[in-house]
Amino acid sequence: MLRIDGVSFRYRDAGTPALDGVTLDIPAGGVYGLLGPNGAGKTTLISILAGLQTATGGRITFNGRPLAEARAAEPRAIALVPQDYAFYPMLTVAENLDFFGGALGLERRERQAQIESAIAFARLEQVTRKPAEQLSGGLRRRLNLAIGLLGRPRLLLLDEPTVGVDPQSRRFLLDAIAGLPASGTSVIYTSHYMEEVEAICQRVAIVDQGKVLSEGALDALLRCDESVVELELGAELPAELAARHAAVGEGGLHYRLKLATPAALPRLLDDLAAAGCAVQQLKVGRENLEHLFMRLTRRSLRD
Amino acid sequence: MTRLIALWRKETLALLRDRHGLAALFAMPIIFILVMTMALHDAFMPGAAIDVGYAIVDLDHSPHSQSLVRRLNKAGSFRHVASADNPDTARQAIRDGRYALVLVLPKGFGERLLAPGGADGQPTEPLGLFVDPTLNPALQLAFRTQTSAALGTLRADELTRQAGKLFGLPVAANAPDREWPDEIVTVAVQNDRSIRPPSSVQQNVPAWLVFAMFFVVIPISAILIVERQQGTLSRLAAMGLPFRLVLLGKLLPFFIVNQIQAVLMVGVGLFVVPLFGGEALVMPQGMGLVHWWLVSMAVSLAAVACALLVASLARTTQQATIVGGVGNILMGAIGGIMVPKFMMPAAMQTLAEFSPMAWGLQGFHTVMLRHDGFAAILPVLLQLLAFAVAALAAAIWLNHRQSA
Repeated sequence: MLRIDGVSFRYRDAGTPALDGVTLDIPAGGVYGLLGPNGAGKTTLISILAGLQTATGGRITFNGRPLAEARAAEPRAIALVPQDYAFYPMLTVAENLDFFGGALGLERRERQAQIESAIAFARLEQVTRKPAEQLSGGLRRRLNLAIGLLGRPRLLLLDEPTVGVDPQSRRFLLDAIAGLPASGTSVIYTSHYMEEVEAICQRVAIVDQGKVLSEGALDALLRCDESVVELELGAELPAELAARHAAVGEGGLHYRLKLATPAALPRLLDDLAAAGCAVQQLKVGRENLEHLFMRLTRRSLRD
Repeated sequence: MTRLIALWRKETLALLRDRHGLAALFAMPIIFILVMTMALHDAFMPGAAIDVGYAIVDLDHSPHSQSLVRRLNKAGSFRHVASADNPDTARQAIRDGRYALVLVLPKGFGERLLAPGGADGQPTEPLGLFVDPTLNPALQLAFRTQTSAALGTLRADELTRQAGKLFGLPVAANAPDREWPDEIVTVAVQNDRSIRPPSSVQQNVPAWLVFAMFFVVIPISAILIVERQQGTLSRLAAMGLPFRLVLLGKLLPFFIVNQIQAVLMVGVGLFVVPLFGGEALVMPQGMGLVHWWLVSMAVSLAAVACALLVASLARTTQQATIVGGVGNILMGAIGGIMVPKFMMPAAMQTLAEFSPMAWGLQGFHTVMLRHDGFAAILPVLLQLLAFAVAALAAAIWLNHRQSA
C-alpha cells in the first residue's frame, strides 16, 4: 500500500539529515510499528506521510501513485492523529467532532453519520456535551483518535497515541486500534512502549538517526537462535551453572544463558531443580522486542 | 464552503467562550469612551469655564468695589466662590486649600479710583491678589489680566460719569454697569486645514472604536497559538486545509465582531454619553454614513490582519498578549487615540502618520467633521487596505517558514 523508497529529509540549518535513505514497504491491512529513540526521525517520517513536510530526496507511493498526487486525489485517505491533543479545549466533544468533520469537507448527512460512528468507536457517548478541556487524559486520547477516524481513512498515522493514560484506557485504545485493519483502515503506529508494539503490530521497523536499522514481520525479527534461553528464577542462579552457560544478568533474577546445543535445555532445567531454583518464566528461541531494540539502537541516552 | 462555515462556526464558539477576549473587545472601549468623554469634556471646548474659584475681600464696601465684583462675576471664566471679611481669614482659607485665588479690595478703593496719587497726597493702596502657589501660573496671570480688564472698564465708566457731571449732563444716580461688548473672539487655528476640532464625544467614540478594533489581537492570538501549540494546525494541514483558508476562517468572524463593536460604540456615543451629561455623538447622514462604514470596514481589515501577524510572530499566548497589547497602546498613543492629534506638537503629528490607528481615526474625522466625500477618504482606505494585505502576506509567509 505504502512504499517509501530511499527517502531523505534535512531540516533547515540542521547539520545532519533527519532521514537518510529510508526504505520501507508497508502492506495494507495491518498495524505497522515504527520504533526508534527520541530524535530517530519517526515524527519527521510521519509528517512527510501526512503532507506536512516534503521529502528532500527519494520517492513515496501510496497505492502505486506518488504520495502528493494520491493525497490530492483522495485528501481523506491518509489521516494523522498527532501526539498532542490536537483539538479545541473550549469546544465540547460534539462541537470538536462537528468542526473537524466540516474541515474535512464532509456534508451534513455524511458528517453526522461519521460523527456517530466515531463517538461509538471511541465510546464517547457520555461526554459529547462536555468541554474538551474538562476530559480526563484517557478521554482526550479517545477524542484525538475519534477525530482521526472521521474521514474513514485508509491509512491512519498514530503518533504515540497512548501517552499519559491509565492502564484501562490504554487497553481500550490498543484493542480499538488493533481492530482498525478489519474495518479497512491500516495503521502506522509509533510508540516508545515496546509491549504495546509487540501486542498489536504485525510488522515493525526500527529506525535510529534517520536510518532503518531493521524492518520486517515482528515474529521474524524476534525469532532468534534456539540455544539462547531467557529465565526468570525464584532464587539466585548458582555460580557453577552461570559459568557453564555464560550467563548474563538482566536485572533482578532475570538471566540470559547460552546453551551448547538446543538439546541441553532439559539438563539445565534438571540442574536448576536440583539446586532449588524454581523457574518462573522461560523463553527459548524468541527475543524480547525491548532487547532487540536496545541491541540495535545501543543503550546510550539520546537527550 | 462546508469547510469555511465550519471554520467560522468554530471561531465564533471559541470567541463566545473567551470571557477575557470579550471584555477586551466590548467592555473596555465602552468604559474608555464614557470615562474619557467625561474627563476631556472641557478640554475640547475653547473658552469653557475654568474650574478655579476665587474669593473677594471687600474692605471698601463702596458702590465702586461692588461694581468691580459684579464685573468679575460677569466675566465668568473663574468661579466666584465666596466673599471673606478680612485678609487673614482669606490667607488661611488658601492654606487650607479652600480657595486658589483671593482678591483684596483695599479701603478707599472707590474714592481713589480716578486719583492714583491720592487726593490727600497719600499713595494709593494697591489691590492685593493672594494665590495658591500650586495654581498654574498661566491661570494666575489670566485672573490678574481679567481683574485689570474689569478695573479698566470700571474706570472708564466712572470717568464718563464724572465727565458727564462736569458738563452738566443728566446722570442717573444708580446707573447700571455698562455692558462692554466682548471685542475678542477666539479662533482656534489648526494646522490640519483649519477643521473645527472635534468635540469630546466625536474624538473619543471613533478613537476608542479604532483602538478596540485592534484589540481583536487578544482573542485571535489566543486561538491561533493554541492551534499551533496543540498541533491542531498540523492536523488541519494534514486534512488538506490550506493555511490561507484557516486565515480566511478567522477574517470574517472577527470582521463581524468589529462591526458589532462599531454599532455598540456609536450607540454609546448617541444614547449613553448624554445620560452622563455629555454631548451626544453626531453621525453623518446618507452617503456620509456609507463612507463612515467604509472606513470602519477598512480599519477592521487592518486590525484583523495585524492581529494575525502578531499571532504568527508570537510563540506563546503571553508573548502575544504583551506584543499585541503593548503594541496597540503604543500605536494608540502615537496615533492620537489617547491624546488627540491636533493637541500634539508638529513632530509628534508627523510620527502619528506611521500609526494605522491614526489613519483610521483620520478617516472617521474626515467623514464626521468635514463631511467630505469618497475622494477624501480614499487615501486612508487605500493605506489601511495596503497595510492589511502586507500584514496578511507576512503572516502567511511566517507560517510557511515555521512549518518548513
